[in-house]
Amino acid sequence: MKKVKKKTVKARKPAPKKAKPRSQAPAEIRFTGTPMPVEQTEPAMVIQWPRTLVHHHTYGLLSPFFEGLKQGVLRATRCPTPGCEKGLWLPPRADCPDCHSRMEWVELANPVIGEVFTFTHVEYPGYGIELSYPYYQIDVKIPGCCTIMKGYLVRGEAKIGMKVRACFRTKKPTNTILDLYWEPAE
Amino acid sequence: MIKFQPGNLRVPQFQRPVYVVAGGTTDYRKRYPEYKLEELCMMAFKMLLEENDLKLDPLEVKGLINMACYGEFADHFQDQLLCEAKVHDYLGLDPLPNVGIKTGGATGGYATLVGANMVASGYANCVLVMGWERMDEVDTRTGNFYIATAACKDFETRLARMYAAYYAPMARRFAHVFKVKEEVRAAIAVKNRGYACSSPFAQQPGKHTVEEVLAGRIACDPLRMLECCAMSVGAACLLLCDEETAYKLSDNPMRLYICGGTHTLRVADRRNMAIPLLPHETPGMYDWMEKELGEPYPGFQSFLASRFAAYMAYRMAGIKNDPCDELDLVELHDAFTISDLQTYGDIGLRPYGREEEYITSGDAYYGGRCPSNLSGGLLGTMHAVGATGIFQGAECLWQLQGKYDKFHGDPKMWTRFGKTKPQDWQSLQIPKRRRALWISHAGVGSHVTCGILENPEVMKK
Repeated sequence: MKKVKKKTVKARKPAPKKAKPRSQAPAEIRFTGTPMPVEQTEPAMVIQWPRTLVHHHTYGLLSPFFEGLKQGVLRATRCPTPGCEKGLWLPPRADCPDCHSRMEWVELANPVIGEVFTFTHVEYPGYGIELSYPYYQIDVKIPGCCTIMKGYLVRGEAKIGMKVRACFRTKKPTNTILDLYWEPAE
Repeated sequence: MIKFQPGNLRVPQFQRPVYVVAGGTTDYRKRYPEYKLEELCMMAFKMLLEENDLKLDPLEVKGLINMACYGEFADHFQDQLLCEAKVHDYLGLDPLPNVGIKTGGATGGYATLVGANMVASGYANCVLVMGWERMDEVDTRTGNFYIATAACKDFETRLARMYAAYYAPMARRFAHVFKVKEEVRAAIAVKNRGYACSSPFAQQPGKHTVEEVLAGRIACDPLRMLECCAMSVGAACLLLCDEETAYKLSDNPMRLYICGGTHTLRVADRRNMAIPLLPHETPGMYDWMEKELGEPYPGFQSFLASRFAAYMAYRMAGIKNDPCDELDLVELHDAFTISDLQTYGDIGLRPYGREEEYITSGDAYYGGRCPSNLSGGLLGTMHAVGATGIFQGAECLWQLQGKYDKFHGDPKMWTRFGKTKPQDWQSLQIPKRRRALWISHAGVGSHVTCGILENPEVMKK
């Protein structure tokens, strides 16, 4: 990113007082990249094509949820319209899918105790996994919610029906959903 | 939506009949460096034009095409936006219009649905529907991460970066609710990988046993590696026509009906609702599920999107009785054994709660009442994602046309792909050729199409 900014600044410098005549031939164009390694030549040429990227991702109207995790609270949303879905939404959503009203935030009182609805033992995760593995990924039924939220068990062995307590990564938060995790509450 | 209003349940209608006249495919491989993607598409396109016994020369057939619908699951894999334009140009179809369709694993099905509507509406008389995927530019774990971005990136992706981890909890809950043994899932893997042994297109054919599957390496418990499909490269296509064009090109075109359904990206957000009933089901038959089991619908055990697509497609195609009696073949989306098993209830091959009986009764096998995935399915043959729902349609077409042996049994077809036809090769041509159904399925059931091909000649008798 820094390199790009520098280049941008350079480009915005005012033109020198004595502009070079347009007819002058430009300097020879140089290759400024890195050659791509050839991995194989038979039966066809295959090269390496590296990609590194940064996305600038917004949590939008759900920002209070992710801020809440860092503060050690679980925030759900609720539709304020009478007669509409009464259950809390976790994962939260800002707008009600049934009546389109703007939802309101509800802070769940700690300790938040849920129940394991189902689970898997993740032995083969994908590239970039940020948890040591294997680990239990659990789907947690939280009283009062119309949804069943996914999470992970920080210790112990998962079983259907087991009670689990919500925990929060308030020190050194990751600023992701991984700031919420669960521990056995039995 | 958990409560329907009358308009929501209007059964889709085509303004005029739509037919499928031809299919084409490549073989499928985990890595395919020999060819570029557009070269693979040309391979499938040429098979469609040249090897389907069409009554006009290939270039005359091409001269009838006036629209193309293309399916590609993920731009990530090839790092190429607008690949549709590359393929379209490479096939020599410019400046005809084309459209790209993207609905995850159901991309092929939805590309077919869009193509059918192009014909039904009169926009086109002859539509090329083609799908592809090239998943070999990245290693398998990176590919798994890319696919897992088809889970919710805020709330799910980081919790595994691996799609099997979103199906495994459903497998566990399904077994818990309906008391189904793991052997049933393993039998599905054995069956489909076994049928792939008859296919020259197959990527992972294998003669396995239930014991071997269950003793195998675990991906995400309880799903074993052999219960999961693989990264895949290849392309497939179909040619869709109006009635006049269809019979100009073919003596045995198949009539097409196709409908779609959707449901939440996150399983988390599935709310309890009443079960939409298929035409042969009766009100009250599922009361026990909530009363006795206390289990919500669709919960983690069923796919509302598949149920909704079948609900509409059966009505559109006039299927009123037990689907096992009305259909002679189904090709289902067995990306994982559990997705296959769950779908049996959704599309009524068995009532909900008795899905396993479709396997244990023998109905699902070749020679059974309504065999499934004789193509080898996604587990045995391919899941080059954008191509999948189109490849399944091509297999259904060839089965109804009585051409299973032509496309799978010709030794030249095997040598074309660098293989030798097995000495114990078995024909899987279905004897009754009335109707075939295929399910194209995305996410954890986010998008589904239910396509039905009907054989007009056989149905007349």
